[in-house]
Amino acid sequence: MSAATVAPARDRRTSWAPGLVRYVVGRLLAALLVLVAVSVLVFLFVHIAPGGPEDAIAAPTATEAQRDQIRDDLGLDRPLVQQYLSYAGSLAQLDFGHSYQRRTSTIDPIVDAAAITLPLLFCAWALAMVLGIVLGVVTASRPGSALDRFVLGSTTIGASAPAFAVGTLLAWLFGIQLGWLPVLGAGDGGLDRVKHLVLPVLTASVIALASCTRFTRVRVGEILEEDQLTFAQARGLGRRWILRNIILRNAGVQLVTLSGGLLINLIAGLVIVEQVFNLRGIGSLMVESINDQDIPMVQSITLFVAVFVVLVNLAADLFCFALDPRLRAGLGGDR
Amino acid sequence: MSDILGRRRGRTAATTSRRLRVGSLPISTALAIAVLALMALCAVFDGLAHEPGRINALESLQGPSGDHYLGTDQLGRDIFARIIAGARTSLLGPTLLALGVAVIGAVVAMLAGYFGGRIDAVVSRVVDVLYSIPALMVAIILVGVTGGGFAMTVVILTVFNLPLAVRNLRAAVMERAHLPYMEAARTLGMPTWRILLTHLLPVIAPFVMATFFLQFTYGVVELSSLSFLGLGVPPGAPDWGRMVADNRASMFGNAWATAAPAIAIVALAVSTNLIGEWINDRYEKAGKAR
Repeated sequence: MSAATVAPARDRRTSWAPGLVRYVVGRLLAALLVLVAVSVLVFLFVHIAPGGPEDAIAAPTATEAQRDQIRDDLGLDRPLVQQYLSYAGSLAQLDFGHSYQRRTSTIDPIVDAAAITLPLLFCAWALAMVLGIVLGVVTASRPGSALDRFVLGSTTIGASAPAFAVGTLLAWLFGIQLGWLPVLGAGDGGLDRVKHLVLPVLTASVIALASCTRFTRVRVGEILEEDQLTFAQARGLGRRWILRNIILRNAGVQLVTLSGGLLINLIAGLVIVEQVFNLRGIGSLMVESINDQDIPMVQSITLFVAVFVVLVNLAADLFCFALDPRLRAGLGGDR
Repeated sequence: MSDILGRRRGRTAATTSRRLRVGSLPISTALAIAVLALMALCAVFDGLAHEPGRINALESLQGPSGDHYLGTDQLGRDIFARIIAGARTSLLGPTLLALGVAVIGAVVAMLAGYFGGRIDAVVSRVVDVLYSIPALMVAIILVGVTGGGFAMTVVILTVFNLPLAVRNLRAAVMERAHLPYMEAARTLGMPTWRILLTHLLPVIAPFVMATFFLQFTYGVVELSSLSFLGLGVPPGAPDWGRMVADNRASMFGNAWATAAPAIAIVALAVSTNLIGEWINDRYEKAGKAR
């Protein structure tokens, strides 16, 4: 502790204070706890589904003996706690169960689907963040201009237009009326794949782009009113320097938090987008499994999404600490 | 206006919209209220020339005409009549959701923000955990697995939309809970429930109203997305989200059958969003941290 007070400020910025370690460990434990809670809920899916799993797996004409056999195979007659423990046990061994419908491990279809969903997710996210920050900074530096009013008005529409409405409109306009881009499926790899993913990425990014633009506009607007900006200008520092060292550095933490939230919400948005453009990604797999009442499949997808959500939240929080020395100093314990 | 550095100051989003006005309202807000009122009227009086459920295979996939203003769908049902009939479900769900979120959110935020201490700590903790969970995703999974109906869908979305409302309203309460007139009321020995009802509630009422309208927008987006996936609304019911899903396959036949309900949904969501933002802007930016 005393070393931190003696060491120059530069050192404190890079050192890992004990408070920070405690914070990170606590955060990891909390993430684990959330995942355990999710696994309990996911386990209960089998029991809250109408008719239960034996209805999903058996043909409507199945005899009672066949149903008993299925119950026995799945261990449905044991106490709930025991069932959960054995479920959790197999999860710990990375055994996620077998799909009722596909008769394969639930992992294989998820991996195939992720190959479509993940590129979509990250492209839409990156597009929304980069364009949103640029638009936010530009509009905030010209408050009240025609551009500012146009962009703000567009964000209101963008933030309230459901993805399926936007997607259907884009598909109709660019796919059917103009015929520029394909609107169904994911293409055959390479350039074809890229062409097929243009419209879905645009559709998915609309709401995130609107939120990011609006948020950046408000936050940068605040920073522009601050004295440190006036001081920097008085010192004759250039626009680029001010943008990098004052505006983006100050807004950084909030933007990272926002980007985590947007990435999480994009997953839900992609379920819709994939339906609109007939893409066989995670979202479509989920909807299909729900329609088939393929509970193990839904369970596994839910778990994967939960792990993703928890990881994104964790990463966003930790990244904030890496970005802002003030946050770390707050945990340092030397004050 | 510009300061000595040539930087323009004092013009924010709130002041820039003072161009075109209807009475004291900006034109966009006035339009939004008109759209909302029209849709509410449709939701209340929905008996029009054509029955929304009447199937007429001979008249399927017609374009707009004098008889069918927006044409017909694949089953020959009149799109215009179905849009009007769909107003009821499309408005009812978001209304219930927004009402639930605004009322529960206001109560929780008032308790947490006014009393602080342990209540506030617990509320903030729960809000933080729920906040990072995507409401739409949870609704898709839970409604999908349980096969839950309309009521359950609305309840799930209400629960997972609450955190944002509580967060914003709590901030508004905290700013006002310790103003001098509140202290005065406490010093005079006014019972706590009367302070909450007569002093706190009126000052946060505008923010509760703004919350209602903004949540209405989320409700429209989320509920219509779910019914687009075939969840929540029973099959066959005239609902805008469902109409978009059902008529997409026949978009070459009558594009209006898909476009009209989509436009209705966007118009509704944008309208309530504009009204909510207008209230928020008017009563200073409590939702800044959004």
